[in-house]
Amino acid sequence: MTTQQVYDPVAPCLTATAAPHRFLEQLSGKVVGFLDNAKPNFNHLVDDLAEILVRDYQVARVVKRRKRSASQGAPEAMLQELADQCDAVITGSGD
Amino acid sequence: MTVCSEQFIGLGRAQQKALGFPGLAIAVVPHPFGTQAREALTEIARDCAAQIAQHLCDIGSDEPVAAASAVAAVPRALLVEAPLALGALNQFYIERRWGDGLPIVPPTVAAVDEMLQHTTLARDTVVATIAPGFGVATVEYIAINAVMAGCLPQYLPVLIAAARAVATTTFHLQAIQATTNPAAVWLVVNGPIAKTLGVNAGSNCLGQGVWANATLGRALRLMLQNIGRALPGEMDRSTQGQPGKYLFCCAENEAASPWEPLHVERGFAATESTVTVVGALGTWSMNMTASAAEDVLFMIAETMQYPASSDYVFGGHPFILLSPQHAKIFAAAGWSKAEFKQRLWAASKMPAGRSRGSEFERTVTARQAELGQIGPETLLPITVVPEDIGVIVAGGTGSHSVFVPVSAHTQAVTCAITA
Repeated sequence: MTTQQVYDPVAPCLTATAAPHRFLEQLSGKVVGFLDNAKPNFNHLVDDLAEILVRDYQVARVVKRRKRSASQGAPEAMLQELADQCDAVITGSGD
Repeated sequence: MTVCSEQFIGLGRAQQKALGFPGLAIAVVPHPFGTQAREALTEIARDCAAQIAQHLCDIGSDEPVAAASAVAAVPRALLVEAPLALGALNQFYIERRWGDGLPIVPPTVAAVDEMLQHTTLARDTVVATIAPGFGVATVEYIAINAVMAGCLPQYLPVLIAAARAVATTTFHLQAIQATTNPAAVWLVVNGPIAKTLGVNAGSNCLGQGVWANATLGRALRLMLQNIGRALPGEMDRSTQGQPGKYLFCCAENEAASPWEPLHVERGFAATESTVTVVGALGTWSMNMTASAAEDVLFMIAETMQYPASSDYVFGGHPFILLSPQHAKIFAAAGWSKAEFKQRLWAASKMPAGRSRGSEFERTVTARQAELGQIGPETLLPITVVPEDIGVIVAGGTGSHSVFVPVSAHTQAVTCAITA
């Protein structure tokens, strides 16, 4: 088969990989944050998870914050507040 | 870590990798999650909590965790050996998902080099990174995709400006590319270059038949897919999409407009050439044979109001594409473009109660800081301020204007076209 040279149009992502995340030894006594993405039902899931994590996994405290909408990033101050207070932060994605 | 509905795990994984955090844990919940009954959520939460406990403490996890890495150097595009015959070449591109579903022009070394003659920028200049995959949009990669789309070489500076525009933070490309909405990127060309390149601003300017409109719009889509990595069904999660995702490009009909053109309104000189990107959800034709300014305004305002509108839920930045006929009616009434926007903004307020259920709740969440307490009778403006309604004049003879609703949180961005 006769061939020709053409360019591959797919550009690479040059984003550096961040340092690996740390694992917690246990959930007991830890502070867990939730960044609610404002999608339908996620606020209810967060409420239920908070109750379960405190009751069944002895999480010390849950911090809940809500974004204005799913497709917007959280304000820097909200992220900092969660980072300052929490041992782990959980957010949502999808529908 | 992230809680993700099961249909979106692939997007979640791809996003983690693109943002430099591959391997972050994901707890999975059923899809669609948002429509689950409240009582079903407690059981889902119990399972989700177990997943969270496992992932945060790495109990029994066998997922490899990527090591940190430094930023890679900007690479030259790769040359690959491909069939010479057009049919086989297209099959080669189809198999690699490098195309948009239409036949491509082969991006050979000669064709790309010829395109690169039309910019003063070096081929490895990084113009932008394109979400959601954050591929690096060098001049070379833009040129390759432009050749594939069939662009003439002199179109390249428009696409370089478009890459800058879509990557501007306020355009919110991440959401436009990955959303389930049918979000397309509409290119609006202003200034002398529109005439030089032959970008259609007149009859059928959003339709077929003009090389510049068709290939510029198509090239941007290929850039969004091949550089931004928004592949349908993968990081492009659009439920249906829309034809405008193949291509969506026109110029403003500045000669037929009674008002200052879009780029002048946005701070550029009339003699400058610009491209504006708009995160468009579609085109709604408004056929209005009325001749009184108030009557035409009323019909536009009524058309803009619909309950499943991101613009009303979040306070948007929609566009009105006025026909020359309608623009002249408003100008003859003594209205400036600013006054037209003010009147349209006031006339198009919609009762919040026209949206129901979680859409109403999302409106409350999104706009209570702006509007205070929101009830079903609260009148929602389509934008936060009248100036946020975009207006251009385009098209030929006829009594048709177009409403262009936009994706959530996107703002149109205008960039100068330079060599």
